[in-house]
This record gives sequence, structure tokens and C-alpha cells, in this order.
Amino acid sequence: MQDLLYFLQQLINGLTIGSAYALIAIGYTMVYGIIGMINFAHGEIYMIGAYTALITITGLAALGIAWLPLILIVALICAVLVSSSMGWAVERVAYRPVRGRHRLIPLISAIGMSIFLQNYVHLAQGSRNIGFPALIQGGFQFGSPDSFQTSISYMQITIFITTLICMTALSLFISRSRTGRACRAVSQDLGMANLLGIDTNRIISATFIIGASLAAVAGLLLGMYYGSIDPLFGFIAGLKAFTAAVLGGIGSIPGAMLGGLILGVSESMTSGYLSGEYKDVVSFGLLILILLFKPTGLLGKPEVEKI
Amino acid sequence: MRTSVKKLATAVSASVALMAAGQATAEIKIGIAGPMTGPVAQYGDMQFSGARMAIEQINANGGVDGEMLEAVEVDDVCDPKQAVTVANRLVNEGVQYVVGHLCSSSTQPASDIYEDEGVLMITPASTSPDITERGYELVFRTIGLDSMQGPVAGRYIASLNPERVAVVHDKQQYGEGIATAVRDTLNASGVEVAMFEGITAGDKDFSSLITKLKQADVDYVYYGGYHPELGLILRQARQADLDAIFMGPEGVGNKDINTIAGEAAEGLLVTLPPSFDQKAENQALVQAFADKGEDPSGPFVLTSYTAVQLIADGIEQAASTDPADVAATLRANSFQTPIGTVQYDDKGDMQSFEFVVYEWHSDGSKTPVN
Amino acid sequence: MAAQNLKHALFCAIVTLVISYPILGLNLVAEGTKVVLEGADTATVISILLAAVAVFLFQLFRDNIMGSMGKMPNLNPFANREPMEQSKRQRLDTIVLVLLVVGALIWPFFVSRGSVDLATLVLIYIMLALGLNVVVGLAGLLDLGYVAFYAVGAYTFALLYQYFNISFWVALPLGACLAALFGLMLGFPVLRLRGDYLAIVTLGFGEIIRILLNNMTWLTGGPNGIGGIPDPTLFGMEFGRRVKEEGNTLFHEVFNISYSGNHKIIVLYLIALVLALFTAVVIRRFTKMPVGRSWEALREDEIAARSLGLSRTSVKLSAFTIGAFFAGFAGTVFASKQGFISPESFVFLESAIILAIVVLGGMGSQIGVILAAVAVIILPELAREFSEYRMLLFGLAMVLMMIWRPQGLMPMRRMHIELKKQE
Repeated sequence: MQDLLYFLQQLINGLTIGSAYALIAIGYTMVYGIIGMINFAHGEIYMIGAYTALITITGLAALGIAWLPLILIVALICAVLVSSSMGWAVERVAYRPVRGRHRLIPLISAIGMSIFLQNYVHLAQGSRNIGFPALIQGGFQFGSPDSFQTSISYMQITIFITTLICMTALSLFISRSRTGRACRAVSQDLGMANLLGIDTNRIISATFIIGASLAAVAGLLLGMYYGSIDPLFGFIAGLKAFTAAVLGGIGSIPGAMLGGLILGVSESMTSGYLSGEYKDVVSFGLLILILLFKPTGLLGKPEVEKI
Repeated sequence: MRTSVKKLATAVSASVALMAAGQATAEIKIGIAGPMTGPVAQYGDMQFSGARMAIEQINANGGVDGEMLEAVEVDDVCDPKQAVTVANRLVNEGVQYVVGHLCSSSTQPASDIYEDEGVLMITPASTSPDITERGYELVFRTIGLDSMQGPVAGRYIASLNPERVAVVHDKQQYGEGIATAVRDTLNASGVEVAMFEGITAGDKDFSSLITKLKQADVDYVYYGGYHPELGLILRQARQADLDAIFMGPEGVGNKDINTIAGEAAEGLLVTLPPSFDQKAENQALVQAFADKGEDPSGPFVLTSYTAVQLIADGIEQAASTDPADVAATLRANSFQTPIGTVQYDDKGDMQSFEFVVYEWHSDGSKTPVN
Repeated sequence: MAAQNLKHALFCAIVTLVISYPILGLNLVAEGTKVVLEGADTATVISILLAAVAVFLFQLFRDNIMGSMGKMPNLNPFANREPMEQSKRQRLDTIVLVLLVVGALIWPFFVSRGSVDLATLVLIYIMLALGLNVVVGLAGLLDLGYVAFYAVGAYTFALLYQYFNISFWVALPLGACLAALFGLMLGFPVLRLRGDYLAIVTLGFGEIIRILLNNMTWLTGGPNGIGGIPDPTLFGMEFGRRVKEEGNTLFHEVFNISYSGNHKIIVLYLIALVLALFTAVVIRRFTKMPVGRSWEALREDEIAARSLGLSRTSVKLSAFTIGAFFAGFAGTVFASKQGFISPESFVFLESAIILAIVVLGGMGSQIGVILAAVAVIILPELAREFSEYRMLLFGLAMVLMMIWRPQGLMPMRRMHIELKKQE
């Protein structure tokens, strides 16, 4: 019984982190699906979202506002606003001019952008870890109080539910809305979509904005869940999320969700049953292994080589 | 074209003259090597502030045997590669005494160069035992070792008769070194170490680790590492209702841990060097720092001050500016310094460096534990 | 049109404000145990506003500015000249190279110890960049975990010395070969992957190697690293003050000169120089050989290259292995120069810096890569007061380079054979 509860707890931990990875992974996967490039700076956009949220929360606290829903909503709006503007600007400045060149060129531009943004925040906000207030506290407990108890905190539930809402909304948006249909068209054939009168530049911008907004949501949630942020944490999280996107099959939105969950659970199980120091080895090892057998990820479409 | 060449020549000769003039007035150069930039620059600030103060005060009192001290400050960013570069630069500039470096991983490669080139080095902050293990003659420190701090913590935990203890570290030189020493001490005193495990420095999610700690049902957790990770562990442990008592080394004992852990930092046990700035005999010095608007309470401020003072005292007592003579003098005598009486053993470590167990509070203050 | 321009300019200006003001203008400061918000000083706020105004004006008159830029006489006087005749260029190349090498040989005897030491570091980066150039520049395979091979080389020497007392000269080929073996090992599984997947897998591989080095404390000393790695000897002569190894003699005693710490530094520099030259020459030869040509063919058009009968496997594997080989070379020299290595010298950022050197130099071009290595390593040393901004400018340079000059400082020129003029 106790072992089962322990397993459950590790599963919950893994799923929480995994769903947050999935939120960030959406940004990678959508951008890749449409213009076929890895947006390496996406992790930094997520980090900037978390910083904006913290700045907003601290500012509101200084103004004496203490009503929790208001704080959360305002922080969310500010984070999404800043992050999506950043996503838009990054695309405009660093990716659009190099679009269509050899595929290494946008990638290197993205790595440069990632280094730039990291240091931009580092210079402006300092390198130290800053505490993020725990706004949502408490949770449920299962199991008898005198042995091991499995707990789900309200924060974890919030992360699950928010991810679920975001994913559903995104799927509906992609499948139902006019812009969503245009997105799918562009991802299938950019040139053809252009000929059919779709403003591809607008669609690409929209993709970046959507990805950045979801990253900002993840930034706020994970900032609260973890408890501190620093300018470097976006890079690591971005790497993980990107791994998740590749794992699930880059370009596929359900794939990102699946990849995120698999990655989160495998990390938490490694820490839980093996040792925390091998967590990253296992997640990258898993990635290499899956790509060996399915070179385009779990749910990715096999790429057809065109001449 | 011709005039510009002339101008250039004048400028060069002028600067050469200036440099020569600079050398004429300052006789003894003291290199201060540490991080001015980068992620641990805040610790570097402590080092520079302490060393600068000592140099200023010694010069104000007429220098060392009438010769003035001159600080040569270099930035190693706590990167081993940069440390070698700046060490070579210091040797180049004719520096014979160095206060530094800060990070053990920088101190180690740099000390190879100093030893080879006959430069005396005193590190005010590097705690890795390896640094003085190599039989070097010119390498000293004004801080305790990981192997001294670990046992203090281990013995303290053992004295509380815990049932089960977990030892966690961040897989870095400093953290793993101390954690290993704590584990060995605990094992020696018959306490069961239920878990000995590393985490990834820079990680943010410790929920799996905390679940594991809960499962192991430990009542004490020793963490070897720095405050960013421990702060998060404390906070996430509080969220998950883990009721163990945490303990850490001096790397976790600063106020930043409170901004991260908040209430959860209450009751954390920390081994720290005794607060030198609280000592009665140091109040004049503390006032001098306050007058400059600097804070002497950081763990490396007065150790750096002491390092400079030891160099000055060593030169005076040896009546020689040859680093080898000064090193011999430092080993032979004992010195009164702001961090207490300093007496060196053959390796260049202080014979005694006290660590005290403090209890940390959620307002950032600390009280000694008896 | 004007109204639309105005709208767009206004939008851009607002975005500039939105992305810069919260991060730059409002600083989170720890005050005691609380985090509080502090407004930045007026200068920062004013510069943010100025930036927004600048963006506004630029976007408003964008068409005019771009138009007049196009009309401006070309700033680069060499832009429109005819390319030099190949035979002439080759001769010039040779002369310049010989002069450079001679200069590099004499130079250390006249400058300070610090500069020689820095130059050794530059040479190590040159070796690394030349090696990565094979993988990225010539074969077009983006390798983000190149630092792993560098680490393998460095750790091979350190471990061989620690356990078997093996000297630098024996460890040098061993380290390089082991690194090449790792390259081969990594090459096999990732062959099937296309560009971007390859990037993330190599990145993961680099991280795995670093974490393993950090975790295998029993073998590698873990985070404590390995110290006491010896300097290279020359014909059994050591350059230290005292003999460290039984049976060796001391350089200054053999030649009966007084000891100077500079000898060691200079010898290390010269060894690095010779190895870097060796690297450059070998890779240069490779580019003229069929295997080198096939790297480029594969980079330009994989499908076409395969239809012409090139084996993708062997071509990619050879590029990976040769690139890794020279990283192992550089790693051994690095370990010897540092005397102490630990996993923190082999982080992803290092891979990014080497990649940046290759990109800035112009992918595929050797002289360009050498120039870029010099620039990337030396410039921050010269401008230490800007060292805070080093990485910021670095990232910016990568982006701008990709936008304006993706071919790099010195783009690669392919050798070609000219037809003789018909009589």
C-alpha cells in the first residue's frame, strides 16, 4: 500500500512538471510545424514571462492589493502581454530576415537570440535567484496520517487544469477558427498558402504570439510552483520542453502534450527510484533512444524527402 | 600621417613614464583575484571590500616598513580558465602576493602557477581540502576547510540522537565535499544515514526528492550546497508537509534564502564561522566599514582583511619581501587578527578554525545554538 | 499608405516599450528578506523612451531610409572588385600564411607572459573551431555537443596520467583517437536524423557526457576534477623549477641558463601552435580530397549527393570522427595548460562559443575561423570593463551576422580549376 502511494505521489509530481513542459513545448512545436525552424529563444520567452509575472505581483503587493484572483489575473495578463510582444519582436528582428535561407542560419540566429535575451534579463535584473511568493497554498492528503501520505497541492491542480484548458482552447482554435485553418494550411505548404491569399507573415507572427503566450502562462504557474526564478532557468526548461516536443514528434500538438508528460514522469521516476543526479541523463538518453527507432518522434509524421 | 606617428610616440613614452612613476611609489603589489562579474560576484564583492580596507588602513599607518601596498585587482569570474589567465597576468605584473581566489575550482589551477613562480597566495574563501593537500609551500588560507565544517555539523546532528538522517548535496565540489564529511562523521558516530544523494545544481523542481525524503521518514536532512537550491527545497518541503529539520553549511547562510524560502527558513540549522563582526575587539574595524558604507558581516570580508594583514605582518616580521621567507615566517609564528589568533600548520591551513552552529530565522537573523 | 505606416510605426514603438520597460525599468531587489520593486534611474527610463522614439521614427520613414541606403555609395571598396585570379590568390595566400606563421613563432619571445598564455588559449580555440568547422561548416551537420569530445580528450590525458603516469606526448594521440571513437559512436545512431533532430541529440549527448563526468566520482573525481596534470616535456626535459618526474632533466639546467617561468609558457604556446598548424594543414588537405568534397556535396544537397552514389553513412561518419579527433587534440592541450580540469569547463556555453567562432569566421573558411577565434577570445580581454556585456554582445553579433553576413567574415572560396584559354 505504501509503495503504491509512493508511486502515485511520484506520478503526480511527474505529471505536474510534464504538463508544464507541454505548455512550453507547444511554442517549439508550432513554430517548427510552420516554418521548420527551432526557436531556441523560446525558453527565454518563458523566463521573461515569469519575470514579468513576478514584477507585476510585487508591484501589486506594493500597491496594497491583496485579492488573490485579481493578482493572478493581472499578473497573467501582463506576463502574456510582455511575452507575446517579445515573441513577436524576436520573430520580426531575428527570424524573418533570415527565413528561407539554409536551415542552419535561422537556427544559429535563434541561439544568438537566446544568449542575448538571457543576458538582457541578467543585466537588468541581476543574476541572483529571486523568491516567487506562494500565492496558492494547501492541498489534499490521501493515506493514513501516521504513514506515508500522498498529497496533491492546489497548485498542482491549478497547473493541471490550466494546461488542460489551454490545450483544449488551442485545439479548438486550430481546428475551428479561420486563423487556425490558415495556420494548418501554412504548415502544410507555405508557398501554396501564400498563393491562395493567406497572409503568411501574419500567420507566422500569430504562431509566435500563441507560443509565447502559452510560455508566459507556464512561466507564471511554474514560478509559483517552484518558488524562485533566475535568468538561467528558462534555458534549462526550454531544453527540456524542446526535448519533449521532439520526443512527441515535432510539429504535432498532441505530440507535444504526450512528450511533455512522458518526459515529466520519466524524470520524476528516475529521481524517485534511482537518483536525482541521473535525471537529465535519463531524459536525454530516452530522447536518443526514441529517435533511434522513430526518427520523427512518437506522433510525428515521417518526413518525405522531396527533390 | 607624420604628425599622428609623432603623437603616438609621445603618448607611448608618456604612458611608459607614468607606469614607471607608478612603480616608484608603490613598492609592494598585492594581487586581489576573485569574481567581479558573473553568478557569484556577490561573494567577490565581500572579498574585494575586505582586502581594500586592509590595504587602505595599512597604508594610512605608514605601510609595511615604510613601503606602501598597492592593490592589483583582477576578475576571474570564478571560471578555472579565466583564473589561469589572470594568474599569469598577475605574475606578469610582478605581483608577489595574492589574496584569492574565491572559488576552489579557480584557486586550484591558479595556485599551481603561483607556487611555480614563487608567489605567495592566501585564499580567504576556498574551502576545498585538495588545495593544501599538495605540499605547496606558498599556499595559505584564512578560512576553514570543508573537512572541518562537515564534522562539526555531523557531530551536532549525532548529538541530537536522530533516528534517520538524509544527506543531500548539489554535486559540486563544495557541496559534495562537505556532505561526504558529514556522512562519514555520522557513520562514525553510529547514526544511520538513510539516504546520500546528489541533485542537479540550478534545478528548480525538488518534489521527487522531497517525496523520497518523506518515504524514508527522516528526521534530519543535511544539505551540502548553496542557498538557491536549499531555499527551494525548504519551501517545497513545507508545502508537502515534510517535517524534518534541515541543516546546511555557510553557503546557505545568507539572507537570500529568506526571500526564496520565506517562513520555511525558520529553524534551519547552519554551520557558520563565528560572526567576526560581532566580536568586541573588531568594533573599530566594523565602524570603519560602516563609514565607507560597506557591510562587514559577509563571511569573506574579514577573512580577506586578515589575508592582507597576514601578508603585511609576515613581511614585517621576516624583514624580507621574498615570499619564501614570508611563508616560513607565517608557518613559524602566530598572529593576532580580526578572525582570532592565526597559526598555520605545515600544509598552510589554520590550525584551528572554529565553526558554530546557528539557528536561522525567517526574518534573516540567526541565533547560536548551544 | 502613410496612415498605415504611421499605425505600424506606432505599434512597433509600443511593443518596444512593452518589452523593455518592465524588465529594464522595474528592478526586483532583495531588501532584507523581502523582494521589493525599485524603479530604475532616470537615465535608463529616458533611454528606453529614446529607443521607442527611434523605433517609431525608423519604422515611419523606413521606406525612405532603406531607399537612400541603397543609393549610398557602397561603403566597402572591395565589394565590387573582380575576384582575384586564382593562381595569384593562392600565391598571396601562401605568402600571408608563411608570414603569419613566422610571426607567430617569433612573437612570444618579445611579449609578456600573460599575452603568451592568452595566445595559447586562442590556439586551443582555433583547433576546436577548425575541427567543428569540418562538421558544421563543411558537412553541414549542426553539432551542439562538440564540447563533449573536447572533454573526452582532456579527461583521457588527465586519467591516463593519474592512473598510469602517461606523458603528454603519448596521451595526445590517445586522447584524440578516443575522442574520434566517441565521434564515431555518436555518429552511428544519429545518422538517420535530419538537421534539427541532430542538433538536439548532439546537445543531449554533450550534456550526458558532462553529467557522467560529474557523477562518476570514483573515476573522474566528480566535481572535484583532476589536478596535478603535468606540462608537456620536450625530449625528457621539464620546464618547471624542480623535476617532478623521475628520470627527467630540467630545461634550464641542460642549457645552463637561469630558470624562468616564461620558458614553460612559451613551450606550451609553441606546442599549441604546431598542433594548430597541423590541424589546419590536415583539414586543408582533406577539403581537397574526395572525402572533403563529398562533405560539401552532402551539405549542399543531400539527395543529389546520394543519387550520385555517395554513401551518406561514410561521409557523415568521417566528418564526425575527424571533427571529434581534433577536439580531442585541443582537449589534451587544454588539460596540460590548465593543470586542473573539472566538468564545469565543458558546459553547453562552451559549445555555443565554438559554434559562434565557426559562424563568425564564415562556415567552411579556415582563415576566417582563425580570425574569428582571435577576435572572440581576445576582444573581451581587451575590453574588460565591458565584460558584463560580453555575452550580450556575443548573442547580438550572432544574430546580426546571420542577418547581414551569413557567409561570415571571410567566406569560403572553393578551389576550382580554370580552363586554359583557347588559342
